This record gives sequence, structure tokens and C-alpha cells, in this order.
Amino acid sequence: MIAVEKLDFFYGASQALHGIDLRIPENRVTAFIGPSGCGKSTLLRCFNRMNDLIDGTRIGSGRILIQGVDIHDPDVDVISLRRQVGMVFQKSNPFPKSIFENIAYGLEVQGVKNRRRLEEVVEKSLRGAALWEEVKDRLHTSALGLSGGQQQRLCIARAIAVEPRIILMDEPCSALDPIATAKVEELIHELKRSYTIVIVTHNMQQAGRCSDLTAFFYLGRLVEMGRTEKIFTNPVQTQTEDYISGRFG
Amino acid sequence: MPDSQSTPAPERSVALAIRKEKRFRPLGLTADSAIRRFFQGNAAFAILALVLIMVFLLREGAGFFGQNSRGIRVYRLAGLEYVDIIKGQLDRHAELTRAANALRLKIYSDALAKGAAPQAATAALAGFDAFAEALGDASEDVRSLASDLTEQAAAVKQREQIYQDSIEQKAMLIRAGKAGAAAAVSSVAVDFGREIKALSASLPIYKDANRLFAKKLNASLAMAGPQSVPAAWTPQLSGLKAAAERYAATFPEVEAELAAWRYDAPVPWYRSVTAFLFGRQWLTASFWQDWYGIIPLFIGSLLVSLIALLIAVPLGVVAAIYVSEVAGTGEKTWIKPAIEFIAAIPSVVLGFFGVAILGQSLRAVSETTWLAWVPGFPMSERLNAFTAGCLLAFMAIPTIFSLAEDALTNVPRHFKEASFALGATRLQTILRVLVPASLSGLISAILLGFGRVIGETMVVLLCAGNRIAIPDFTQGLGAFFQPVHTMTGIIAQEMGEVVPGSIHYRALFMVGIVLFLLALGINYVAQRVVQRYRISIG
Repeated sequence: MIAVEKLDFFYGASQALHGIDLRIPENRVTAFIGPSGCGKSTLLRCFNRMNDLIDGTRIGSGRILIQGVDIHDPDVDVISLRRQVGMVFQKSNPFPKSIFENIAYGLEVQGVKNRRRLEEVVEKSLRGAALWEEVKDRLHTSALGLSGGQQQRLCIARAIAVEPRIILMDEPCSALDPIATAKVEELIHELKRSYTIVIVTHNMQQAGRCSDLTAFFYLGRLVEMGRTEKIFTNPVQTQTEDYISGRFG
Repeated sequence: MPDSQSTPAPERSVALAIRKEKRFRPLGLTADSAIRRFFQGNAAFAILALVLIMVFLLREGAGFFGQNSRGIRVYRLAGLEYVDIIKGQLDRHAELTRAANALRLKIYSDALAKGAAPQAATAALAGFDAFAEALGDASEDVRSLASDLTEQAAAVKQREQIYQDSIEQKAMLIRAGKAGAAAAVSSVAVDFGREIKALSASLPIYKDANRLFAKKLNASLAMAGPQSVPAAWTPQLSGLKAAAERYAATFPEVEAELAAWRYDAPVPWYRSVTAFLFGRQWLTASFWQDWYGIIPLFIGSLLVSLIALLIAVPLGVVAAIYVSEVAGTGEKTWIKPAIEFIAAIPSVVLGFFGVAILGQSLRAVSETTWLAWVPGFPMSERLNAFTAGCLLAFMAIPTIFSLAEDALTNVPRHFKEASFALGATRLQTILRVLVPASLSGLISAILLGFGRVIGETMVVLLCAGNRIAIPDFTQGLGAFFQPVHTMTGIIAQEMGEVVPGSIHYRALFMVGIVLFLLALGINYVAQRVVQRYRISIG
């Protein structure tokens, strides 16, 4: 689904990613792990070109292909790319609008005005994010009135409302309590059937619990990538083993 | 100095270690508390100054209502009010005559536009002219009576004024211990009851004159037959005639009002307040009656501020959006200081620019033919509400820009990212997420901009045209191009000339109080809006 080839990435003069090479398969959950500052979030934000919004960032060399198309090709429309590659952020960030408006936003900016269609999509997305039963009676109240875990699931619902193929999650549970985390993880498990998911996490157990593949990054390099059970039980690199067993990081 | 030295050296213990050292304290203050007092004093001074200003404004302004009340009472006692009833009738007649003349001008220029020779056009209007002249002359008997009565009433009022002055002079001499000189000052109280009889006695004469007026008016209307104007203008002519007939029908009311008028009817206590707050005239140093009505000034201030905001809000807010969301770092570093530098231009310089250049160029622009469709164009006055509004807009832009830019920059970055991640364009992100999220900040920016322009003095004094009159809103947007006077302008212009303690002086203070309360209200609302904004962003 996503192929990264020899990617170098720079923030101004400092290089954040060094020659990354990896492949992310379709309809699987791939976890990026590694200590802070290892470049895993940076790589994630390359997939929907969110780094374009930050001044002074640039791709040094290498490519990112999604289903064989180089996403930095001049012919690629970044707006359409972001509709295909949705994103959920570390801090839940619903707009200061109603729940309904939050979900409908992605469609409205595409020009969908049909009220019936919007209502259908809102219900479908909230059901998809396992939030419908909790909020169906207050769709038109402010989204900021939801709890932290509900807000994060709302953000997931908002992301899937535009029907992307890939969902990027940047430490989606780091601000949530264990119960809310469990709900989101359950949801990730459900979503795997229809979406390709890439998740950045600091939480080893979480990576172990919900991912199929795990990639370990260290100092801007990909150290090791493989099936999650293998990485966790029998890693090839000693660095990986040290990190997973908690000897550093 | 330390007096603990005299006691024997104590053992080392916590109890001793934590005890305060005894030091020399001037006025019982330690260094810490002295510094605290200093800051406290500075803050208190600012608040004290504010309180003093308020007390001063109120003290100087409060006397206004009493004096105004007395003025209105004399207005009634001396019969000025009585004469004004007749004058009001005459004013309405003058309006009618003006309407007739305006209609004539329209018909005449229409005829010229259709290719008629000037002589022919004048000749065609001979019938109408005869009518208009008769209409204008119809009031002459009433008018001459009114001018006689005006003189009588004014004389009574003046005698009252002399009497009041003499009382004051006596009091002053007595205070100075010159009782003899005080007794020598002659002071004769005015017997309003007797004086007013001469006025009331004129009622039968007025009734006769009025009957004549009505007769002449009707006679003039009979002259305006359908042939007096071209067929196309018949509706306008009948409109005018209908207005004249309605006018004639009010004559009995005027007579009844005059008959019912009593010089000694009490003036209600609230009259002096309503005369100020809702008075439509600001008329000072007149031989007849001074009126201190704030409405023309208030409307002038609001109109000029409205024009300024209509220009400054789009410019300021859009510039803020550009700088905070679109501009690159390089552009930002010079656009922001450039706009904020505008605030540093002294307002008198801007006013000078307005008088010398802007007014002239605006008028030149308004005279171009392809702009003739704009209401109020071509401008009749170079200096008007619009000229002043343009300059005020220029002054308000930095305020609105800076605050709006802050509000936009303070919108958390994750809102923006979420919007982009959902495939929104930059414009959609700005309009649908950033502007709504910073809306209360933007509103408070606009309110503070409003506070900035309504308090501005120099520019309006120089460029607003300074005509004390309510703009003619029947002209629609044309009202924007009429000269106005403002609350700030009138204080700056007249305060230097008034006698301290006089009613005019106090009236200016009252205007100042209104202005102060208005600014206070605007700032209060703006602060409340900002608070709400902080809460909603969380």
C-alpha cells in the first residue's frame, strides 16, 4: 500500500530521517515505535504531506509511493491525497462546533450540501467509531462537551467520514485513561478490516496488542521491521531488544 | 542596629535559625514591604486618577440640568415658546415653498434636457411660477405678526436676564462687604403675568391673519391648474397640492394650541434631561433661545464611526488573516510593523492631509460622470462625514489589525492541522475553522477599533465639516457625504470660548460624560467578549 524508498528528510539544516526503506501492507495495522525524537512521527506526517505546513521542511532524496504513485509528484493534488490518507492526532482536536458539524466538515469542504447524505454519513461514521449510541441524542451540542476518550473517537469518526483508504494515528491514546484507551484499541481492531492503519505509539503493550507489523526507529533510522510477534519475542537487532525490554528509551 | 549582639551567643537550633533577623527598619518597613508599597502606590495612583476624572466630570456636568431647567422655564415664562408655535407653522410653510421651487427646477431642467430653449421653458412654466409666488406670499400677514411678537418676547427675556445679572452682582458686592454699593444696584423683577398679556392679546389678530393666510393659500392652489405644468408632471403637482391642503388643515390645531398655551404652566422636571438627550438642536449664543440637544452630535459621531468601521474592518481583518495565515515569514517581518506604524502618525497630521488632499481628491472623484449613480455624488461639501470616516478608518486599522492578528494566531494549531488533514483547502480552513474559532477575538478587535474612532477628536474637528445638523437620511447613502459635527469635535471647538460655570460650559461637560460612558461601555463589552473567547478556546 505504502512504499518508502531511501527517504531522507530535513528540518532546515538538520536531517530527521536517514534513508528509510519500508513497505506497509494493505488492511493491516502497522505500529511505529522508538524513543522520542527518533523520527517516527515525522515519517507518519510525510504520508499525507502534513509536513508541507511547516516552514523549512524538505525531502532530501527518496520517494514515498502510495499504490505506486509518488505523492510528491507535481501531478498529485495534496488536497485529494489528504482525503485518501486520513489522520488522527495525539491531542484530540475536535473543532469548537457541534458533533454533527465536526463529522460533516470533511464532506462539506468537498462541496456536499445534501442534508440527507450528510446525516447518513454522520451516523455511519459515528457507528464506525463506536460512538453513535453515546452521542446520538446530542448531535447538535458542542463537541467540546465530550470526554477525552469520546473526543478522540469523534476525531476517528471525523477521519473516516471522508472515506480514506489509509488512517494515520499519531499516538492516539497518549492522553487517554486506560478505559478510553481500551475502547480506542478495540476500535482500531475493527477498522483494520476496511482501512490500512499506521499508528505511532510510545506504549509497547499497545503496539503488541493491536498491530500486525512493527517498525522500530532509532535516531532517524529504521532499525528493524517485521511481524509484531517476531519483533517482540525474537528481534534480530540487539538495539531493538534493548528498547523493547526497557533497557533504554 | 542589631541589638541581639548584647545577648549571649545562642546555641545553634532550628528555633533560632528560623527567627527573623532584627534590622533597622525606616518607618517600620523592610525592603520587601517598601517595594511592595511602591508598586501598590503606583497602581493606586492610576485608579485614583480615574476616579478623580469621573468626579470632576460629574461635578462640572451635574449643574447642567438645573441651569437647563431654568432656561426652559424662562423660555416659557417670557413667551418664547408661544411665538415658537407660530414660527413652527411658518417653518412648515417654508418647507412647502421649497418643495414647490424644487419641483419647478426639476421641470425646467427636464425641459432643457429635452431640447427646449431656455426662454420657451420659462414661458411654459409661467402658470406654475404665478402659483409658486402666491404660495410663498400667502403667509405674509402671519409672518409680520410673528416678527413683532418675536421682538416683544425677546425683550422680555432680556429684561429677565438683566434682572438675574443684577441679583448676581448684588450678591457679589455683599460678599465683598460693600452693602451700600449693593443697595445702589437697581434690580426690577420682571412681572411675567403682565408682560405676557401683550402676547396673549395678539391672539385675535393672529386668528384674523391666519384666516387670511388660509384664504390666500387656497387661492394659490386654485391657480395651479392642470395646464400649469407639462402633463408628465401632473402627479408631482397634485402631490404638492395635497401636501399644501394637509398643511392648511392643521391651522385650527395651531390656533387651539395657542389658545391653550399658559405661560405659568409648570415645566416637568424631566424636561431638561429629555431636552438634552433627545434634543435635535444644538444652538448656542443665539439671541432667541439656546438649545443643548445632543442628538445631532451623537448621530454625527456614530455616522463618522460607522463609515470608518465599514472601511477599516474589512481591511484590518483581511490584512490580519493574510499576515497570520498566508504570508511567508519574510513578508510578515515587514507588513506587520508597517501597519502598526500607522498608529504612530499624529492625528493632526492626518487631519491636515484630509483637509489638504483627501477632501479635494474625493470631491474631484465624485464629480466624474461615471460615478454619478452613487447617491450623494457629486459631493456638495469637500469636508464631510465620509472624508473624516476615511481618515478615521486609517487610524483604526492598526488597532483592528493587531488585535485580530493576535486572535487568529492564538487559535490552537491543532484546529488548523485537523482541517488540513481532512482535505480542506487553505481558504476553507480560514473561513470555516479559524475565523469562527477566533470570532469573539475578532469582535472585540472591532469593538476596540470602534472605541478608538469614536473618541478621536483632531481628525473629525478638521475634516468632518462641522455643521451642527442631523444629516438628511431621506437621501439614503447620500447622508454619508454631508458635513456633520461630533461630540469630540464640539468639545474641542467650544470649550476654549465658554465662560466657566455657564450653562454652555456645563453642557459641554455633559457631552463629555456621554462620551466617557460610551467608551466605558464599549471597552466593557469588548472585555466580556474576550473572556468568553478565552473560555471557548479552553
